[in-house]
Amino acid sequence: MWKKVLVIILLFYFLALLQNSFFTHFNLLGSVPNLVFILFFLLVFFEKKKKKYLIIPLAIVAGLFLDIFSYTYIGPSIVPLIIIGILLKKIQSLLKNREDNYPFVYFLPLFLICFAVYEALLMISLHFFDLSHTLINFDLRFAAGIVYNLFFAIIGFWIFKKHA
Amino acid sequence: MGSVKAVKDFSINRKKNGLLKFLIGAVALLFFLFILNIFVSPVRNYFYAVSVPIQKTFWSAGASSSSFLGSFLQAGSLAKENENLKNENQKLLAEVSSLQSLEQGNQAQNDAFAACQNSGFKLVMAGVIGLDDNDVLSIDKGSADGISDGMPVINQQNVLFGKVLKVYRDFSQIMLVSNKNSVVNVKVQQSDTALPEIDGVVKGKGGLSAYLDLIPINDTINPDDILVTSAIEKSFPKDLLVAKVIQKEKNDQKPFQSAQLDLFFDVKTANNLFVITNYKQTN
Repeated sequence: MWKKVLVIILLFYFLALLQNSFFTHFNLLGSVPNLVFILFFLLVFFEKKKKKYLIIPLAIVAGLFLDIFSYTYIGPSIVPLIIIGILLKKIQSLLKNREDNYPFVYFLPLFLICFAVYEALLMISLHFFDLSHTLINFDLRFAAGIVYNLFFAIIGFWIFKKHA
Repeated sequence: MGSVKAVKDFSINRKKNGLLKFLIGAVALLFFLFILNIFVSPVRNYFYAVSVPIQKTFWSAGASSSSFLGSFLQAGSLAKENENLKNENQKLLAEVSSLQSLEQGNQAQNDAFAACQNSGFKLVMAGVIGLDDNDVLSIDKGSADGISDGMPVINQQNVLFGKVLKVYRDFSQIMLVSNKNSVVNVKVQQSDTALPEIDGVVKGKGGLSAYLDLIPINDTINPDDILVTSAIEKSFPKDLLVAKVIQKEKNDQKPFQSAQLDLFFDVKTANNLFVITNYKQTN
């Protein structure tokens, strides 16, 4: 158990460094993949229903790394991630059970919704504490960001699916 | 009857317990965040100090692999680009020869001007270690190296990158010119010095892009015009290179014209930057 926790924390840290240093050279219209969010989403999506309590510590660790490597104070990412995690598990529990517990048809729209909600919540929380911070623009850059993140999320989905 | 009441009481108690747990959890989380934010500077500085070697490695790996990949992707357009460069080179040679005579006459004046502008500046060289998606760059020098908030950041070609947004002990965060909150006063560099100066502002758009704004409607700007920092607002030294005009956007109903820009700074190739530590700012 502790080994798994340590691996997850290190993975979040590694991905936070990767998205801030390596992937900035591969930006798509200025957007870089939010690998920490993608890993968080995948972990929650593939989490067994009995282990719902893990959402909050996962959100705290993921949000902490996202906020530490950004320029704002610590917190704006943690709260949206907790909301997204709870929302995701709630939606998953409402969806009709299939033979396949983690179908791709559920993953795709859920990821898109959760990513858009996360971005919106993040912008609102940043704007709330810093009024000079502009609210979200649903422009070409935002669309490019969604496509770019979706690409990495789909790769992650198939990796997780293999090991689920 | 009594058992129904007991079931009801039990479910109310469960709801109350759930709410109580949620409230306790929320308060604990807020308290944890509050404490973390009190110590945000040392916490962040510690994380950056530990991560600098890895970040530098990732940054260099990203830069080299992106240029390697870029050369593959641009292989098709190389011939065209080569031809364009040749044409541009010829044009520049012609300009150089006409400027040479003018330059000789103004040499002494220019030297004095350059000396005034640049010789007094103290520069601190810093390595780039990261960039977040709000166009904030991280460098590996901080207050321990004499850097403080608001200091201008340039590269060796005098291209303006931005200014220091936040300083920690061992690293700093730079707000790039393309950051959505960035506004830089600029002037359009005129080839004919007799012409009046055209002033405007470069506003960040995010996504490593920016646009030119507040150019009076009657002034003429053209594609390929060069924008340099102006001395109106003393945030930056004057004549630092900022951007090139790509396309102007004139709307007669608006009192000002704007333009799309090609910013001179290139984050991908910037491994080392310079912070001007002794420029006296008014803002």
